[in-house]
Amino acid sequence: MSNISTVKTTPTLGGGSGLFKKEDYWAVWIGLGTVIVAIILWAAGSKVMPSLAISFPAWDNFAKVSAYLGAHLSGIIGLWFCFLVVFSVAVKILGHDLKAFVPGFTILFILGVLVSILGASTTAKKWSLEAPLMALLVGLIIGNFVPIPKWLDTAFRTEFYVKTGIVLMGATLPFTLILQSGPMAFLQATIVAVSTFLTIYWAGTRLFGLDKRFSTALAAGGSICGVSAAIAIGGSVKAEKNHVSVAISLVVVWAVIMVFLLPILIKVLHIAPGPGGAWIGTSEFADAAGIAAAASINEQAIKTFTLMKVVGRDMFVGIWCFIMAMISVTKWEKRDDGTKPSGKEIWIRFPKFVLGFFGASIIVTLLLASVDAPTAKSVSASIIAPISMIRLWAFIFTFLCIGLTTRFKDLASVGWRPFAAFTTGVLVNVPLGYILSVIVLGGYWAMVK
Amino acid sequence: MRAENETCVQKVRFSFVLFGKGGRKERESPWQRLSRNKGVSPEVLRASKDFLTWRLERIAAMMELLLAAHGDWGLASRSDQVVMETETLDFNQALQILRQHGFRDDEFVLTVEYSRKWGVL
Repeated sequence: MSNISTVKTTPTLGGGSGLFKKEDYWAVWIGLGTVIVAIILWAAGSKVMPSLAISFPAWDNFAKVSAYLGAHLSGIIGLWFCFLVVFSVAVKILGHDLKAFVPGFTILFILGVLVSILGASTTAKKWSLEAPLMALLVGLIIGNFVPIPKWLDTAFRTEFYVKTGIVLMGATLPFTLILQSGPMAFLQATIVAVSTFLTIYWAGTRLFGLDKRFSTALAAGGSICGVSAAIAIGGSVKAEKNHVSVAISLVVVWAVIMVFLLPILIKVLHIAPGPGGAWIGTSEFADAAGIAAAASINEQAIKTFTLMKVVGRDMFVGIWCFIMAMISVTKWEKRDDGTKPSGKEIWIRFPKFVLGFFGASIIVTLLLASVDAPTAKSVSASIIAPISMIRLWAFIFTFLCIGLTTRFKDLASVGWRPFAAFTTGVLVNVPLGYILSVIVLGGYWAMVK
Repeated sequence: MRAENETCVQKVRFSFVLFGKGGRKERESPWQRLSRNKGVSPEVLRASKDFLTWRLERIAAMMELLLAAHGDWGLASRSDQVVMETETLDFNQALQILRQHGFRDDEFVLTVEYSRKWGVL
């Protein structure tokens, strides 16, 4: 490609050049890199990985926290340093300002330590405000009520942290489990996604008189995978910019409501963690928010959530885009020129971090399959357990960033008709997710551990 | 929350394919006939020359209109197309400009991509 004049260079979509220029791929490199380094250190007999597995014990007397801090200070500093180095490399290559990122991330890490300590207190546990929801709440309060300097924004990278966490999550899920539960997750997620999509689209176009493309962007955001789907499908069908902005605002508002509402409902209705996670995976609107909700329940809920959301829903956004683009071009625009969508769109839209999630799972599953029982125990203690803790920290940064960046005054106001159309979808999505996750397939999801 | 707040960035890309039909009614352009080896003759070559002259002129005219309407475009050329891209002009405005000057939708390929604005969940 030869430039004839360059005000700014046209970026290429996909292809080799994207391997180091996209957040998705960096989440893959960091996640897989962590797994490989953990395996090498374990093979060399090193205890570095277990020393990074920082998890504050439950406390009702602060002396217990002081003792833990004293004993694990080097581990905490080591964890901060490792995160800082790998994230800084990625952030630099992605073109962001390192001078702002380094102090910003350090502040985020300190906040993460503080909410982890607060979330481990018996009082917080009594109020169900463990680290995930505590981080979210603290972030929301700071983000909406305290003026935050602009330079700190460089460190608040919600999507990057959650994708890295999800890749690391792969290392803690056996690939056989993904293969077994994936089709079930896909089936359930597709039933709910199609029903919700059609409901919002129908309500938008028929009940509330919204434009087809506007309704499509709303329907995508409310049914497939939140903001990612709203922007992907909004572009595919050439929806108006302000319509996509409204769809995004509605996803964010409902995602934040669901972070708090779904865990409360799960506890009030005495739903087991497995089906609870599956319900969140089916009915929550955004990955990061869903992880926060699932993490407030337990590890099993995080697993079933991830299977449902990542394997059952996120992977298929490209196919949705392709279908909607085809409908838009052939039915709505009735164009007969060279602009028909190509099948390449399915790959371009594919969330690449999912490949890292699968890769990490395959690596650890193969490792476990190739060793005897005592060695497998050592793998669990020295590789899987520390990765699980590091993943939790990536999620703590995510939850803080959700709160710190969700500034309600910056969202687009939506008007009652889009709100009503989207809410009609919520009224289908949430009960249908409950029926399938808890009543119909509750027994199945309870066994996924 | 305000009506004027935006939560996404819109990237608009116009691709002007050099050797396609270029919006002409016939099944294939002289250049397409030539490149598919469907008979070569001096007449076909001259028709291809005329087609390319016409097509490049149309592309240049469309580019001029868009550049006159808006200053912030990324321009690039590839082996088979010219690409114009911006994040600061709405695609409807750009389309309107081209249509008002008699250009049809099948003379260009318009791609609209959205990305989340910083900090959106």
